[in-house]
Amino acid sequence: MIFTQPSMLVADSDEARCAALLSLCADRGWGCTVVSDSIEFQRLVEAGVFDLVIADAEMPGFDYKTLLGQACRRKPSQLLAVVADSAAGEPEVRMLRGNETDIINRPIDLTWVERCMEQATISRRQEKREQLAYSFVVSERTEMRFTCRQLGEAQAISLPIVARLVAVSRLTETDALKIRLAVQEALLNAFEHGNLELDSRWREERVGDIDKFSSVRKERLKDPHYANRMVSVVSCFNGEAVEITVKDQGKGFSPDQLSCARSNDLSCFGRGLTLINNAVDEVRFSCGGTEVTLVKRLPANRSS
Amino acid sequence: MEFPTEVIGEKGYIRVTGDLDSEVAGEALRSAFNEIYEQGTRTIVLDLSGVQIINSYGIGKVLSCYQQLKAQRGVLMVKPLEGFVKETFELLMLDKLLPIDK
Repeated sequence: MIFTQPSMLVADSDEARCAALLSLCADRGWGCTVVSDSIEFQRLVEAGVFDLVIADAEMPGFDYKTLLGQACRRKPSQLLAVVADSAAGEPEVRMLRGNETDIINRPIDLTWVERCMEQATISRRQEKREQLAYSFVVSERTEMRFTCRQLGEAQAISLPIVARLVAVSRLTETDALKIRLAVQEALLNAFEHGNLELDSRWREERVGDIDKFSSVRKERLKDPHYANRMVSVVSCFNGEAVEITVKDQGKGFSPDQLSCARSNDLSCFGRGLTLINNAVDEVRFSCGGTEVTLVKRLPANRSS
Repeated sequence: MEFPTEVIGEKGYIRVTGDLDSEVAGEALRSAFNEIYEQGTRTIVLDLSGVQIINSYGIGKVLSCYQQLKAQRGVLMVKPLEGFVKETFELLMLDKLLPIDK
């Protein structure tokens, strides 16, 4: 396992503050990258190589809550800190990562930044230890359960098994993206078509200002009969493949009714199964169509 | 969530930031599209270079923009694609539908 220099990403347009942070990093043996553009910030965050991300809440054109939310999803172990005039936005920012986000009040106190760096170093050591241990894991199973109401509010579901396999290079980043897409599609199907019993064709029918699909979806999310139905996601790793089973409590369907998108089809729906089939190695439907299992083999086992 | 927009000459540009895989992102795209469309621009270019994933929901939103422009003899284009987004477009043959803005 390679231990690299710890590094900080700073999104700030204040030259004096950036210079102070660059100098602090140089003194502590940290790498430091400064950006003042949200696109560049996002690109770097997606690379997931930073231990500490510091963002100025007031930087023009910078939606820091959304961008830090993406940073959390991309690498949950990295520390996030927001430079702000006051702690006014604190509750929302803290929500991003379970009360572990720091607010650094302006004018910036470098002692506070040093404290963040120490926290990041501890977190990094712990992550490396966990990664080392995970290299030897031969099987794991986790189960998550959600009500439709909760899924309706969720932005994204991340699977810890997949993140851990990527961290120890047993899955590639591209495979992880494909699994994420396939699970999203399976969850959407379970949630909207299974539990809420919505028909995709309603997307092209209007009810006032919105389409019928969205209108009925909104109504059913308020109706306990539909909203309290559960979706379960079971992730298994058996040493050779990752298997994710998504199960809903809807009426099910016959797999014969399924069709993949046609090349000349311009409708706004009906591509989920095509995307799933492309993203994983095997798709199995069971339990009368209320359960789907997605199988992604690890690269070394893909030819078998 | 908001996507930056810009109109240069006859073309409007939407820079999609983050993944196009949720209702929030879909609404942000629709809102950015409407902002340019309502100014009368009928050639709109999507810059998806910052996008890692586009799911069926995001594709539905892109096609809805495509259809709206097509009905007005407009064109929806994309900046050169790469990575998994490019693979997704090719899989669904959207690369044949949406010309590349070079």
